[in-house]
Amino acid sequence: MVENVSKWFGDLVAVSDISFHVSPGVTALLGPNGAGKSTMIRMLCGLTAPSIGRVRVLDRDPRHDLSVSRRIGIVPQQEGIFEVLTAFEFVRLAAVLHELPDPDAAATHALAIVELDPHDRRRLPTYSKGMRQRVKLAQAIVHDPAVIVLDEPLTGLDPRQRLHMIDLVHQLGANGRAVIVSSHVLEEVERFGSRVLVIAQGRLAAIGDFHAIRDLMDDRPLRIRVRTDKPRELASRLMWGDTAVGVQIDGEGNLIVDTVEVTRFRRSIAPLAQELGARLYEVAPLDDDLESVFRYLVDPAAQQTRR
Amino acid sequence: MKQFTVLYSLILRSIATRGRVAALGALGLLGILVGALLSSDQVRDAAQFVNLFGLTMVVPLTTLVFASAALGDIIEDGTMVYLWFRPVPRGRIVAAAAAATLTVVTPLVLAPLVIAATLTGAGGDVVLGAALSALFGILAYTGLFVMLGVRVRRSLGWGLLYIFIWEGFVANAGKTASRLAVRAYTRSILSDIALPAPLEPLRLATISPLFSYLIPALIFVVSLAYASWRMQHQDVA
Repeated sequence: MVENVSKWFGDLVAVSDISFHVSPGVTALLGPNGAGKSTMIRMLCGLTAPSIGRVRVLDRDPRHDLSVSRRIGIVPQQEGIFEVLTAFEFVRLAAVLHELPDPDAAATHALAIVELDPHDRRRLPTYSKGMRQRVKLAQAIVHDPAVIVLDEPLTGLDPRQRLHMIDLVHQLGANGRAVIVSSHVLEEVERFGSRVLVIAQGRLAAIGDFHAIRDLMDDRPLRIRVRTDKPRELASRLMWGDTAVGVQIDGEGNLIVDTVEVTRFRRSIAPLAQELGARLYEVAPLDDDLESVFRYLVDPAAQQTRR
Repeated sequence: MKQFTVLYSLILRSIATRGRVAALGALGLLGILVGALLSSDQVRDAAQFVNLFGLTMVVPLTTLVFASAALGDIIEDGTMVYLWFRPVPRGRIVAAAAAATLTVVTPLVLAPLVIAATLTGAGGDVVLGAALSALFGILAYTGLFVMLGVRVRRSLGWGLLYIFIWEGFVANAGKTASRLAVRAYTRSILSDIALPAPLEPLRLATISPLFSYLIPALIFVVSLAYASWRMQHQDVA
């Protein structure tokens, strides 16, 4: 449970007044790079304390109650891994530190879950990125925690490795654990699960079902560049229509169209050009990056305009 | 105990890299060579050699390299999260780091220093003085530099500044300043054993025997206690 949590580093506000709670199953934490996801995850795991507000994991303070770590597993984002250890030694280290009665068996079992060979004598630096991610997951689940936190677990993985990791996350969630996964990639989050927390500019921008958030994102105002041989004629017709809320012609003779009816605009632009005998060379969104999506989600004024 | 053992083993394997051991082992061998060449029965010359080569260079530098890496490297490369995020008392992690450092540093420093002191031919007191002063020096520097690894980034650089600027220049300026350097205590131990009255003691070897043993031990304990407290309260990357 996260209650009115803020975190700042000097003048920089990393997280601002966020509240939410997480239940068993997979919850995705979505946001662009630098949005505050990793800071939020670090607070959830007690790796850093909130400046104000309250974080509780299984009703305990993860920052000061050592026993909480017996119930949480973490897959951190950073690449660093103990270079002198094999995968088995790394996972066994976690098992011993958790004081499990049979660390060897626990390590073997955890490695089997992520489909790695406990008898592999190679040291961790020789492993591929995907294998290292799986080892990191194995050390996080070796003590069978109730809560598992994965910070950007798909970064750097190839498509096959991504699928495997997503499957593993789903299995963990289906087994009744609360799994929190962070990502800055919308398509990844879509695969992870239906419950999404969107964090942007340190604030909780949206919370709830993935599809509802996706719809909101799709319906946001969009600026589109149209390259055509008849910009003035096309601009005039667009101004009379109801799909564009603004039309400009830039210095290079391109149309810059602001629309809140993206889908209708996309459907209507080609027939309109055909009707005018104009050629369309390009129809391209200018702010279709994820950053602008998140900016829209955290800007109430923009959403008000939309309505 | 199992927790301590795996932590100790991990840190020991991490810090005792071939490169480090070879480089600092070579420094020790150089000391043996110089000791053999010195071959002086003048006790004062031999004590001065142990002081300048052993207590000024080999002991602090060797200890710095391993002690600052013991937790400093783990913190800087981001792997501390795998130790911190476990139900392990922070003091146990710090104690394992100190034990691993002592395990590598003690033979690397004591063996060549004792051999070099023996080869000078100046007698048993110089050898005993070299061994005891180095031992207490290792203890104090281990505590200090393990703590430095927890407290600051690039602890090796800060440690070098301490050794060369503070101990090398500032603490050499006078009696009061010298008391704020580990070297004053190790030098006093050596001087007390190897150069008893009426022989003239080493310069700035002015600490009484009780404090010259007590203070390095205290530095070790207090530094590690602070490092443990710091580990508990600082953010983990």
